[in-house]
Amino acid sequence: MTTLHDIDLFMEKWRNPRGGEAAMLIVAIAAMIACIGVLVYETGGTAFVWLNMMYLPIVLSAAVFRIPGGIVSALAAGLVIGPYMPLYVPRGIEQPASNWILRTAFFLLIGSFTGVLFKWLSMQFDRLKEAHEELTQAHAELQNAQMELIQAAKLESIGRLAAGVAHEVKNPLAIIQLGLNFLEATLDGNRDVKDVISEMDEAVKRADGVIKGLVDFSRSEKLDLAIQDLNPIIGNSLNLVRHELVKCHVSVETRLDNSISPVAVDRNKIQQVFINLFMNAAQAMENSGKLTVTTTEKELSKKELSGFFRQAHNFGEGDRAVMVEIFDTGPGIPEDKLDKLFDPFFTTKPTGKGTGLGLSITRKIMDLHDALIDIRNREEGGVAVNLLFKAQQRSASS
Amino acid sequence: MKKKILVVDDEPNLTRMVRRGLEARGDYLVMEVNAGNRALAAARNFRPDLVLLDVMMPDVDGGSVASEFAEANDLKHVPIVFLTAIVTRAETQPTGSVIGKHTFLAKPVNLDDLITCIEDHLGK
Repeated sequence: MTTLHDIDLFMEKWRNPRGGEAAMLIVAIAAMIACIGVLVYETGGTAFVWLNMMYLPIVLSAAVFRIPGGIVSALAAGLVIGPYMPLYVPRGIEQPASNWILRTAFFLLIGSFTGVLFKWLSMQFDRLKEAHEELTQAHAELQNAQMELIQAAKLESIGRLAAGVAHEVKNPLAIIQLGLNFLEATLDGNRDVKDVISEMDEAVKRADGVIKGLVDFSRSEKLDLAIQDLNPIIGNSLNLVRHELVKCHVSVETRLDNSISPVAVDRNKIQQVFINLFMNAAQAMENSGKLTVTTTEKELSKKELSGFFRQAHNFGEGDRAVMVEIFDTGPGIPEDKLDKLFDPFFTTKPTGKGTGLGLSITRKIMDLHDALIDIRNREEGGVAVNLLFKAQQRSASS
Repeated sequence: MKKKILVVDDEPNLTRMVRRGLEARGDYLVMEVNAGNRALAAARNFRPDLVLLDVMMPDVDGGSVASEFAEANDLKHVPIVFLTAIVTRAETQPTGSVIGKHTFLAKPVNLDDLITCIEDHLGK
């Protein structure tokens, strides 16, 4: 593969030489023609093997510079061998002038033909390359679509399971909870016993938190959509997580563009998305950091759609979209974990600190909105979360 | 005089735990019923001041049981509190939230919150 890749690079470099490379080639071809010319003179035009060597720079020039290169090099070769005509006369070799004209015409024919041939080959090469790129992209999109389908099927089955599991687990939890409350009220004031009961009570609350996540996950299908601005939702979400941000010594910078178009969202659900993302960022920057939230509106380019938001089948090139960017200055996410971020029950947080459902729910809510989410590490450190919503027309009354 | 609480849930361990918790406080007399279709008959016999009712039960759902109570002239005045796993604590207040005509308490419930909810309904 490496060899083929190297050949490809070499071909690409010399197929269309630019600047210094082109000048170098011209000099080399000119030098070849001159050298062969000298050899022709030295042999007095008798050694036709040297004369035939002239085809080498002509073909080379035509291959690199196509038809103009073939013609110019053929004319140059003709001019170079022209003066040898008088040389062979003293040596008694008969060579009519028409022979030189014929030879130059033949050079021109070979130069032009080779130029046309290489131009055609180059066009075919370009077409093949384009087709290869399209195939590679189609293959990547197919792979992404397949991954999306697998992910969707996985999420759907987990969603169906979640409601049942939640119900079955809540009854035993209720028994434990009531049992603990009963024991707490009836046992004497032994401090150790109280501590144990308190820890068990905390464990019940933690388990209940996981169940709540499961229920949220299984219930996030219904949307109450309304056309509204994202900025107030972001502001409200930041207020709701302010305590966590202060606790983690995280400063917040907002760059919210007031001129962005409204979007069609379920306010509560999208608020849940922002809260999940802000909480994750705050917890990632446990001992201090900066959270930056930016909103912008943009016209989507092909590059963004094919590279950045890989699951962008709901968006088209030129669509207007509202983008929310959330940057943190935390340690980032290990590269091998990035693909698993949206998997249910996957968490990078310590045991007991996260249920591993937050980002699954976030992704599900975004999918329900036909909106996109992309999470990646930033080159300068930390994590960048990008959310993309379809921009809506602002109604006349708003 | 002790208040009578009828606890209807298909989970015997749960009804037993509710009974123990409430009766330990000394203010309540609790009857356990572990099948929704026996709730009406048990209520007629026990004459409860309040019913704690599960929603998802294998024989009959809590909504149907509540409808039967609402249609029975001798029981329609008895307040019903749904103690259920179908809502989460985040969706309800710790001491219950009114959804439609009924109060819902989310499982798992804290005993103090359960008692506060009962007392609210009994007008203490």
